[in-house]
Amino acid sequence: MQLTGKTVAFVLANTAAVLMALYISFASDLERPYWAMFTVFIVANPLTGAVRSKTVFRLLGTVTGAAMALLLIPPLVDAPVLLSLAICLWIGLCLYISLQDRRPRSYAFVLASYTAAIVAFSVVNTPNAIFDTAVARVEEISVGAVCGAVAHSVIFPQNVLEGITERIDRALRRCRTWITEALAATQSSDLQGQQQLSKLVSDLQILYEHVSFETSDVPRNAPVVWALQDRLALLLPRVSSVQAALAALSAAGPITRSTLQVIEAVSQWARATPGAHGALPSGTESEVRGALARLTAESEDGTEWSSLLERTIATQLGQLVTELSDAVRLADALKNPYATSTPGPRLEPPSRRTLSGDRGLALRSAFAAIAGTLMACALWIEGSWPEGAVAAQFAAIGCTLFATLDDPPKVLFVGIVGVLLALPVAALYEFAIFPRIDGFASLALVLTPVLLLFSWMQASERLAVMGFLLAISFAGGLALQESYRPDFASFINSNTAEIAGLAIAAVVSLIVTTIDPVWNAARISRAGWNEVARLAEIPNSDIRHWTLRMFDRLGLVLQRLLAAKRKDLVGPRIDGLRDLRVGINLATLQRSSEALPAAVRQSMNPVLNAVADAYLGLARGKALVGGDSARAIDQGLAALGAQAPTRPVEDAITALVGLRLDLTPFGSRYPPQPLHS
Amino acid sequence: MIGEIQIDGVLIPALLVLAVEAYLVLFALRAILRRLHFYQFVWHAGLFDTALYVVILWLAALVSMPFHSSGVGP
Repeated sequence: MQLTGKTVAFVLANTAAVLMALYISFASDLERPYWAMFTVFIVANPLTGAVRSKTVFRLLGTVTGAAMALLLIPPLVDAPVLLSLAICLWIGLCLYISLQDRRPRSYAFVLASYTAAIVAFSVVNTPNAIFDTAVARVEEISVGAVCGAVAHSVIFPQNVLEGITERIDRALRRCRTWITEALAATQSSDLQGQQQLSKLVSDLQILYEHVSFETSDVPRNAPVVWALQDRLALLLPRVSSVQAALAALSAAGPITRSTLQVIEAVSQWARATPGAHGALPSGTESEVRGALARLTAESEDGTEWSSLLERTIATQLGQLVTELSDAVRLADALKNPYATSTPGPRLEPPSRRTLSGDRGLALRSAFAAIAGTLMACALWIEGSWPEGAVAAQFAAIGCTLFATLDDPPKVLFVGIVGVLLALPVAALYEFAIFPRIDGFASLALVLTPVLLLFSWMQASERLAVMGFLLAISFAGGLALQESYRPDFASFINSNTAEIAGLAIAAVVSLIVTTIDPVWNAARISRAGWNEVARLAEIPNSDIRHWTLRMFDRLGLVLQRLLAAKRKDLVGPRIDGLRDLRVGINLATLQRSSEALPAAVRQSMNPVLNAVADAYLGLARGKALVGGDSARAIDQGLAALGAQAPTRPVEDAITALVGLRLDLTPFGSRYPPQPLHS
Repeated sequence: MIGEIQIDGVLIPALLVLAVEAYLVLFALRAILRRLHFYQFVWHAGLFDTALYVVILWLAALVSMPFHSSGVGP
């Protein structure tokens, strides 16, 4: 990793924060200053907004957890088994709640869970001190967290927004490539890129929460971000439906001249380099509009399959152009919030947006946390192990802190390695260096090299987890206290207990939470299919919220399939883009049919039912394509073909053609109907 | 120290109470300044906010001094 200015700023800020936290804790006679020390490492993050939000949630979680311990200890201290059970259940409950939500605020629940364990298990032998211990933990953690937040916001902060806008720009550039590729009919499916775009859209949701905790100069612009998120989620399905319609059109016969003109105009527009403020050149955009209008006018009266396809292409491309230029303008508004020169697109009223957590997986993780902590407690109580409390604490920490990561057992094993690596360093300090020093200044001086090293590791992407774990185990091993009390036996004992606790956590989560990524991908897809079916059955659903959730799912599925190197599974069954297309078409159909005459609206109902049935069948293991959805769609198209071409009729036809492309075998022809005249 | 405040038998340092109050004031002030696009003109907002907080805390301590006759002021 290069030593950039940003890294240097982070490393300096973090080291300063640790020393500041230690100084304040020593100066105010706190019981265990090392708690403040490692809290700094826990909240540390190169992005200031993330540090500050984590600080707030950490404080909230710690206070809650300590309060819970305070509530549980007095009545249950004489019944160790009951106490362990109560604490473990509390841990499981908090972890389950925190895993329901992927936003940063869920961190508070994780903290509440293991703080209760830490406070409660450390005072069982001296229950009278529960209040003092709880207060001491809260004080130490507050000192550490606040020092981290202040240092990271004062010493050359980096804001979250810069990273976000950079990624948005990259995603928009990639979208243009996709458009040109789709129009050139190259059959490339950039699964990696799709997964990255999906991750970006979900991350906008997750990261933007940090922005409200940023330093004050970072503008808060949530409506713009949400609007941008909606546009970005629509781009890929839109591109892929144009691609599908084009493929069907070239299979149906020769492509007309006006269609070719539209393709030419749009790909030129997509290739055009954006000018100042990211605005697209307006000349090419008006050219695109002209070509689209000509194509629409030409194909408006035709009811045969190829003109239906042309109408669909014209409508979809028109929407794609609008959405992409909106997205570009919104991204620009996000970067230059004070520039008022370009009128942005109209912002919709906010809709509900939550990324679904996985209930089943959350339950598994909660169960693993309960089981792991209980196991450590059992060893502690049954084995009369004096340091068992430490093992139970670390089992709780290990099971909860890493539950959000992809592979908790692996991180836990890395953690054990981290403790083992940090141990000799801590021992060197404890038994060779500390006896020779006196006072805070020399302590700071001898600690600084190690702190710099750990902070530098945390700043690097590859070493971040290792650096974090090393720092924590170093701080824990050192156990800096007010006066120097070297005790080799207790040093070894408590460190062994730490390793034992982490090992229990690792083994339990290896057994309980490890699941096959392919199986999980299939599970997530199935949940998505049920949602498509539900969308068809329930009118007026919130399509934006639905699209975001489905797009998030698409990314999760692709991520798992790519990790398992099973790209081949994306096909007739698992295809997130198809599900998105179908859903968007269903919503368009429902919305536009409200403006149609009652008789025509009636003929749309069989289509909705057929799609719902097809998707329920897919979730039950049947094939999606085929069945009687084709007949219902054809009848719907025939009914619409008899109507005058108004806006709702056009939209409904586009939606039906889109559904037909996805739900019937490729190349099946729509039978031409006799014209009603 | 500027004395302690007693809530239901628990002694809380007055400085902590003041610190929390000062933070609330800072929070409101920041919201107002942001609305006025004031931070366009600030070079280093993190530093500015921290300094602002210290000033508010100092003012709060100064204002509350007469109420803590037992304490020795800064």
